[in-house]
Amino acid sequence: MATMDTANGATASSSSSAQNGQAESSGDFKLKFCTVCASNQNRSMEGHLRLSEAHFPVISFGTGSLVRLPGPTISQPNVYKFNETSYDSIYRELEAKDPRLYRANGLLTMLGRNRGVKWGPERWQDWQVGMPRLKHEKDQGSEGMEGGVADIVITCEERCWDAVIDDLLSRGSPLNRPVHVINIDIKDNHEEAAVGGKAMVDLANSLNKVAAEEREKVGAMAFDSGSAVGRSSFDERVPDVLAEWQERWPNLPSTWTLAWF
Amino acid sequence: MASASSVKTLSVSEQIQQLNGARKIVLENPAYYDRIVKGILPIIGPSSPVELRRWGADFLAESLSTPALSTRDKENLTVSILETLRLLVEGPNEDPLVLRATVMAAASAYPVVMRWIINNSYHRESWEHITAIKSRILRIWDGAPTPVKICCIKFAQRVVLAQTASNGTEQKYGGLDVNLTMIPAGHPVLDPRLLEAEATGLLDRMLGVLQDNSSDALLVDATLNLMSILIRTRPSTSNRITNAVLNFNPLKLANSPMTPKNKVLVKSMEKTTRMLLLHLLKRDPTNQNVGRIQQHIDRLVRSRAEIFDEANRKRVLPEQPAAPYGDAKRQRLESGIAPIQIQPLAPGPQSLAAVFTLTNNLGLQGFDVNQVPAAFAARISTKTLASIDPQLLDLAVNGVRTRLNAIYAAAAAAAQTAAINAETVPLGVDEDDDDYEPDDYPAEDNEQILNKLENAPPEAPPEETAGDTSALAALGQFTLPPPPLVDPEVAAKVGQVAASRIFGPLSVLEEPALRKQKAGINRLAASSYDRDSWLTLITRLATRSTAGLEDGTSGIKAEEEAGRSRMAISNMIREMLYNYVLEDWRRRIEIAVAWLCEEWYNDQLTKRSKVVDAPLHYETWALRLVDGFISYLTPQDKVLTRFLAEIPELSAALLGRLKVLCGDPTTVQLALTTLLYLVMMRPPVKEIALDTVAAIWMEYEEARPLAAKYLVKWRPGFIESQQAQAAAAVAGAGGNGTPNSAVAAAAVFT
Repeated sequence: MATMDTANGATASSSSSAQNGQAESSGDFKLKFCTVCASNQNRSMEGHLRLSEAHFPVISFGTGSLVRLPGPTISQPNVYKFNETSYDSIYRELEAKDPRLYRANGLLTMLGRNRGVKWGPERWQDWQVGMPRLKHEKDQGSEGMEGGVADIVITCEERCWDAVIDDLLSRGSPLNRPVHVINIDIKDNHEEAAVGGKAMVDLANSLNKVAAEEREKVGAMAFDSGSAVGRSSFDERVPDVLAEWQERWPNLPSTWTLAWF
Repeated sequence: MASASSVKTLSVSEQIQQLNGARKIVLENPAYYDRIVKGILPIIGPSSPVELRRWGADFLAESLSTPALSTRDKENLTVSILETLRLLVEGPNEDPLVLRATVMAAASAYPVVMRWIINNSYHRESWEHITAIKSRILRIWDGAPTPVKICCIKFAQRVVLAQTASNGTEQKYGGLDVNLTMIPAGHPVLDPRLLEAEATGLLDRMLGVLQDNSSDALLVDATLNLMSILIRTRPSTSNRITNAVLNFNPLKLANSPMTPKNKVLVKSMEKTTRMLLLHLLKRDPTNQNVGRIQQHIDRLVRSRAEIFDEANRKRVLPEQPAAPYGDAKRQRLESGIAPIQIQPLAPGPQSLAAVFTLTNNLGLQGFDVNQVPAAFAARISTKTLASIDPQLLDLAVNGVRTRLNAIYAAAAAAAQTAAINAETVPLGVDEDDDDYEPDDYPAEDNEQILNKLENAPPEAPPEETAGDTSALAALGQFTLPPPPLVDPEVAAKVGQVAASRIFGPLSVLEEPALRKQKAGINRLAASSYDRDSWLTLITRLATRSTAGLEDGTSGIKAEEEAGRSRMAISNMIREMLYNYVLEDWRRRIEIAVAWLCEEWYNDQLTKRSKVVDAPLHYETWALRLVDGFISYLTPQDKVLTRFLAEIPELSAALLGRLKVLCGDPTTVQLALTTLLYLVMMRPPVKEIALDTVAAIWMEYEEARPLAAKYLVKWRPGFIESQQAQAAAAVAGAGGNGTPNSAVAAAAVFT
């Protein structure tokens, strides 16, 4: 615990890079992540990219009814259907519509990034949890996600967290599999998304470190009652990790619960 | 782990690699599950190395829960691995991670096995296995490490789900639909009464964590997040669970010190409880406890706000001091002689705050005046100034003056001795004091503010002005130069700046208190000095300030009129108000309604004034607002219903905008229930609303079933007449033309 505290207490950037390097060298164990925002475009995709770059298995979703992107005025958004529209086609459509506007407001840059990450925006409510995902080999972060389940869901807005929890309650947890659902409030603009992405990687590294420790420590030695009580498990340490993370990222208020797939 | 890898683990890791290959095959083609799982069983048994057992238990949990296989497909598979599951779960000193996955697998197996036994009662062996697994899990439940315990709770939930009677509303996947009513009477193995009794006991045990008001957020969250399906689909459990949840206080832990971790835990338990209750309100409208649930949610929101909302804390503080502090001050005055003693400052550098601090109360010294809203501070100041004893005031002013003089003198002396240029020495400012920020006086108290205000007036008219006035008197008459001429365009620009400044205070003004008492008809608009009153002011500026002026030029050319009105300041304010509402329309819909009410009222006045061609604004802006947010609506946005129910007048054009929603299947229901609400609750617009429903019925095929339902009830005969017309049209066309959409729909309905 003490060593972990000091590691977590270091400044976010340095600790994340250090843990990153560590993770690559030592752990073959990786927690599986799922990032969620409203339209699966900006915040969740930034997180998806950053987490996959940090070698975590990751998928991402949106909880809105439709994919909504800003248009020429506040009342004319560009609206697309989830699961049926690719980032590439959105990119080409907007480029044809008004290249100057959409380059200036960063949409084309964002879509350009997204089409390098996966095919298109997916809707959380349509996700069949546990269905094998073998046709997503080209997606970044797909390695390790073949089973179609995640250990940690990270949402980027309170409304999305609410939607995810409500949806999980509706589904009735048929898979009997616990999942930690964590919300991080990130404002929906490019700058904040970039900050949020960094924060997500920091959180992921901290969580993964604890999870890897759990797998290592019980290891070959059988658990006698003393050590099992003395060293608490990954699940129990999630709130500790989150509290420490929150101290490092005070501007990204978070919420957590243990839900079920 | 990799660094410790030895020769022995290498072979294990090779084996795991092979197993991963096998897993890939079943993921690609679920038909192989049966064969591959059976092939793997010997490798992952209780005598294998822990890595293999972990992999195996995870794989079994995954195989038994995969949605790629139906419950029927899983029967064979499940029955064949029961023995391995039993060995793993009964193994002494089993690794917690293996145990955890095994219990997860058992939870998936339970309903499948029960269904299998219902139909194959001869196969008692598998029932024996699952019963043994069950009793072992229930035995280790209490003493197990937390991750295992969570899964034990989950297992218990599946047992309760399977052993109580369903109301048939659950989804038919993942074995969620297996329930007590499936067992035929006189089943040789399963006795429904015993099973139900067991389920009742297990449910009580699960709810124990809530009844004890546990602060173990992990167990509480895990339990709460399992309750929805039981409450919704197993009526016999519903009341007991709802009561337990309503009696659970997730904020109990807030009484202990608020460490960062406790904050996470309290927030988590409160939000999880609230989400479950909100979910029930939304998805389980038949629940008899709706009223109690709503009350409980309100209570939670309020307590949470008190605990967490810092903005709220800021409001609480100034309200408390109002009474007691006022009394305290009055007491001081009554004692006649000034009770304050102004201590000379200690030698050495001092902060500006310290110079003005007259109280000896440490708590007050640390009080951050920034927390007092400016309006409130102003009120306190004027009241205090009006009632303060002049002697006391003089004493305070003189005290501060003495302190300042002392500091000036000390600084001058220091400048002389140290030969430093006195001008560059920041007077009275402690350079070492990191907290000191001259811009926002961090550590001042009420009295300091008062003192400042007290000091201000005597300083305002210094001797200089006296000299000026005498000089002016000698000079004779003086006329101000005429102001430069302003052309309309510049005026408009300046006007726009002025208008935008009106919106400035909105971001600064406090939100109205969470639950304000409604004053009803006695309400006096714009009297509370908060954001609400400012908004009232803005809407009235927009609607009334120039009312009756706009039509002044009605005789002149229309072109000029258009140009003028575009520049008119009230329209500028309207435009900004419109943007302000749309920036966050879900929360600001109330403002929109208030605004439209003002517009409507103003339109009525205009109409009454009988000026020809006076511009009316209500309809224009109502339409723009609806157009503005309609494309952002999601199915959950009940604000639409509220908005349309509360604005003063509805037109066919306005309701027609709802048709757009029917283009998106997810928002069809929202549009139609909104219209239904209007039909039922606003009789004056009943016909227009029904016309809109009829139009939707004709134009949007996907919305037809729902629209038809409402039309049948509220406009009987309409659909039939449409169908008759359509049939006539088809008949007229000879019956061989392409049928139009109405006919196609008619076919759907017959």
